[in-house]
Amino acid sequence: MTRLPAAVPGAKRLGLVIDLDTCVGCHACAVSCKEWNSGGEAGPLPDYDPHGPKPDGVWFNRVHSYEAAGQGCSRTVNLPRSCMHCEDALCVTVCPTGASYKRAEDGIVLIDPEICIGCKLCSWACPYGAREFDEEAGVMRKCTLCVDRIYDQSLPEAEREPACVAACPSRARHFGDLGDPESRVSKLVAARGGNDLLPELGYRPTNKYLPARSATIPTASEAAEQSGGGGGVGVALLRLLDRVLSR
Amino acid sequence: MRPAVSVLLLTTLTGFAYGLLAWTGVYAFLGLLPATPHFAAASTLLGLVIASLGLGASALHLGRADRAWRAFSQWRSSWLSREAVGAVLTYPVVILFLLALRWDHEGIAPRLLGAAVAIMALGTVFCTAMIYASLKPIRQWHNSHTAPDYLIYAVFSGALLFALLHAVLVGGSASIFVIVPVTAAIALLAKRAYWRHVDAQTPLASLASAIGLPKDVEVRPLDAPHFTENYVLREMGFTIARRHSARLRRLALGLAFAAPLFLTVLAGLAVAPLPATAAAVACAALGLLTERWLFFAEATHVSALYYGRAA
Repeated sequence: MTRLPAAVPGAKRLGLVIDLDTCVGCHACAVSCKEWNSGGEAGPLPDYDPHGPKPDGVWFNRVHSYEAAGQGCSRTVNLPRSCMHCEDALCVTVCPTGASYKRAEDGIVLIDPEICIGCKLCSWACPYGAREFDEEAGVMRKCTLCVDRIYDQSLPEAEREPACVAACPSRARHFGDLGDPESRVSKLVAARGGNDLLPELGYRPTNKYLPARSATIPTASEAAEQSGGGGGVGVALLRLLDRVLSR
Repeated sequence: MRPAVSVLLLTTLTGFAYGLLAWTGVYAFLGLLPATPHFAAASTLLGLVIASLGLGASALHLGRADRAWRAFSQWRSSWLSREAVGAVLTYPVVILFLLALRWDHEGIAPRLLGAAVAIMALGTVFCTAMIYASLKPIRQWHNSHTAPDYLIYAVFSGALLFALLHAVLVGGSASIFVIVPVTAAIALLAKRAYWRHVDAQTPLASLASAIGLPKDVEVRPLDAPHFTENYVLREMGFTIARRHSARLRRLALGLAFAAPLFLTVLAGLAVAPLPATAAAVACAALGLLTERWLFFAEATHVSALYYGRAA
């Protein structure tokens, strides 16, 4: 049924929390996602003309980089974009076949590729551009939140997280239950003022983005003052080493 | 939004077809159907054939047309499913109407079934319109113009086909030759009002709010995730030059509404009724296809913001 499950307060809502302060835009999450989902339950994810002049294909996760104006200086914002597993998922209710559905037990939005007729209406209904059409199978595809990993009892417990989260080298991606206010991810969102993308569209996305902390780049003289009158490159390197090791 | 030929054909042809069925039903309900023996049969069969062509064209849009039957299941939530159900249910209602008409031409049954045909036909057009009107990320569709406009274009183009059949089977002088110019004028005004409305709209969101920053922060794309077009850009990032759109808008207004208006007034005045009405139908078909192409091509989708395109 493509009607949305009734919203129960405190119900499990699995999703991602993405830290835009630490995301370095390396695309590891996107590549790892593509790799994991090219096999397994969701696979294969098609590539068209992969070695030709116009490579194209289906990806569940795309990483954009933007330049945002700031105080005094602009800053780079890297934005991984994938399915938000919305509470008000219009992609689910527009589906004429019941192929697109939202799970009552954990809020994950999925597509049943055995039922999908490939009408593409769900992709029109998604403001995040999270759904991509599989030209080879003739059906729509999307992020599954690695539903074939997160419940897999044969994996060590620490690995039962989406491939994108496991791959992130700067630990900018977090996975958990956003329906539980006491969960690690919910606390992270509360502490860091995590927010929705496109809140004005009213889809109530489950995934949250932690804003970049405001930073100002000190001028050369300020920098010299802060570092206690210098010390040279050697001291700066030692300081950096100290910070890395004490993480 | 990418104007896919299959969808342009679907919405234009079903507009003509269900409009024709609706007028046939309304005329039957009012007891005003021409007494010519085969008029109702001809108009309803023509309506069903054109509707079937449109629905067949829409199947070309599907990635898995072999599973199209599954689209009848989700009518509780999906306007596309409701459209499919409405389209299929219209067939038996039309056949019952024809049988009733043959059984008892003057009775109450064909009148009531005529009303049912009109309701089913316009109801299906309404469902088609609501597919577009319910899509929140597309401001040019998600507004109060879309649903009434689709109904108005169906009522106009159906009246025009009805007039053509009338000119062929009965003759050129009838109430329908007053109705067509009036509906053409209403349709022309509705299209102009729609364009005024969408031209005055403000974007639904900014790139800043799309990436979680306060709405008014200035943001520009630095690096795209990929350097060639992908599905999202092809489907949702379609853009059309303003210069082209202005020209096509004038062409659409002229062909779809102004020319049929003029030609059917001539036909109504008994100036070559058959050639004039036939030319009016040809103009309207081309004009409405142009209008429908623009309805898609000028529509922008919020997701295109992520790629730095307008929405």
